[in-house]
Amino acid sequence: MTQPYTRQEMMAIATGREIRDGELAIFGVGLSMLAGFFAQAHHAPRVRAMTEGGVYGATPVGGLPWGIECNRLSANAVSFTNAIDALGCLVASGRCDVGIIGAAQVDRFGNVNTTGIWGGDIGPVYRPPKTRLTGAGGANDIATGCKRFLIMVSHESKRFVERLDYLTSPGYLDGGDARERLGLVGGGPSAIITTLGILRPDPVTREFVLDACFPFSSVEEIRAQTAWELKISPNVQIVPEPTADELEALRRVDETGMLRR
Amino acid sequence: MSHHKVISLAEAVRRHTWDGMQYASGAALPVGSDAIVFGRELLRQGRRDLHAIFHCNTQQLNLLAAAGAVSRAECGFSGLEGFGFAKGLGRAVQSGAVALEDYSNLAMPLRLLGGALNWPFVPATVNVGTDLEFRSAFDPEHSPNRDKIRTVTDPFSGRTIGAFSTLQPDLAAIHVTLADPEGNAIMLGTEWSRFELSRAAKRVILIADAIVETDCMRQFPNLVRIPGLLVEAVVYWPFAAWPQASPGMYDGDEAHMKAMNDALGSEAGTAAYLADYVDGIDGVDDYLDRIGRERIAALSRGPTSFLLDPYRRWILPHADALALSREGAAA
Repeated sequence: MTQPYTRQEMMAIATGREIRDGELAIFGVGLSMLAGFFAQAHHAPRVRAMTEGGVYGATPVGGLPWGIECNRLSANAVSFTNAIDALGCLVASGRCDVGIIGAAQVDRFGNVNTTGIWGGDIGPVYRPPKTRLTGAGGANDIATGCKRFLIMVSHESKRFVERLDYLTSPGYLDGGDARERLGLVGGGPSAIITTLGILRPDPVTREFVLDACFPFSSVEEIRAQTAWELKISPNVQIVPEPTADELEALRRVDETGMLRR
Repeated sequence: MSHHKVISLAEAVRRHTWDGMQYASGAALPVGSDAIVFGRELLRQGRRDLHAIFHCNTQQLNLLAAAGAVSRAECGFSGLEGFGFAKGLGRAVQSGAVALEDYSNLAMPLRLLGGALNWPFVPATVNVGTDLEFRSAFDPEHSPNRDKIRTVTDPFSGRTIGAFSTLQPDLAAIHVTLADPEGNAIMLGTEWSRFELSRAAKRVILIADAIVETDCMRQFPNLVRIPGLLVEAVVYWPFAAWPQASPGMYDGDEAHMKAMNDALGSEAGTAAYLADYVDGIDGVDDYLDRIGRERIAALSRGPTSFLLDPYRRWILPHADALALSREGAAA
């Protein structure tokens, strides 16, 4: 790679650019926190960041937290409450502006699987997965309740699937107005940000369409890494490269270099 | 202190657990608070066929599942956050040894809250429309499942909405930072779902990193979110959540978190882990020796240590707290 940043760093910065100053935002462990706290360090100093543990007002110390309840976050919180408060009163209620979740598999409507890999359709009788993953955690609650949410995922055809093995967290379900018909509070995924580019939903069908490539990727590469017939926006953009300021802010947050490996 | 509730860990497990029970642990956080040492004792006493109710997987559930003590589990999250997949639980789920019923991290405490309030159900504003609703490990024949989350008519709007079943576990072992001998407890860090769990469970045992005088609770009654009148017994056990973290008390033990999870990934590794950190352990002091006194000192100097400062003057010396345990077990 010739550019002075990694694909993961580009993904984190592109995700962070979606977070606006002053928003109420919920971040999960790992990539999600890196992108979120990057935004806070760079252009959204007044973002109201929280984790699902009900740890409020905290900024990580001593490296990326191992979990939403890690002492690296508990070290400078202004309020400790609980899960019903954070995920319920602030997220499922519809108050939270934006959340960031990850995915093992994602489909064309932005539905996410983080529960398990069965190697295809589970079939009419539920059975153990070939590989058990982490389950829903707070991601289902964030995907259901946040006004909008962002999906961060490595762009590989095994992840961008025609059909999920298991639907853990709702995107636009079957597309169209399926979320509204079901009465889900939140607005659904506003972007899928990958290691190769950015997909955004069609306003009517809610199918995700390639909106932008990164400076180092191409439409052909992204198509090849997407197992469904990916639609391409008629005016695909090229996402601006990370600025020196952005990279500096991201690397301050990612002090253990998780995104540079 | 004639009415104190402090008993030994072994006695607590002997008196309050049985094979096939619904066993809940708190906080059931994957890298933070959990009554992990209670699970080690469940294994020492050979408890089997447990129905585990854990808000999230922890190293305790990972261990209990790897050791074959769990047949059913209900969780909102089944990993170890930054430490990756839970290899012991994963192995048990993949082999079919554990039926893992999936919910989300909000669904679990809502179900506990429903149990605490003795409600017939809780409106399901999350999980609906996904396979969390349509797939059930406890009822695998019925897919799409219509019983795990049932539907009910909202009597006000007339809309059809989802309904969660509620939880009232037979026992909750709840890790807390500080407990007094009567079972009043202060938790530092997120409560997660310990408030609801302490009201939902049929019996509550506290596992406390430190025992404090009751005057401490009288100084900070707003912070006593679990009052003693809910509590059956108190177990004094420093580093009870190790290798996970207890804010104010100790940081997570990163090396042991990884080594333990790796060990639980195989049967041989699990057997070796049980030999080193379960079967052989003889009481609190031996347990602390196994962790290593230097490691304990290092983990105790974390960035949250200052959180404990307001409470330190009421903490009972180690020997006094152990004496209470011996006295309680004999009573």
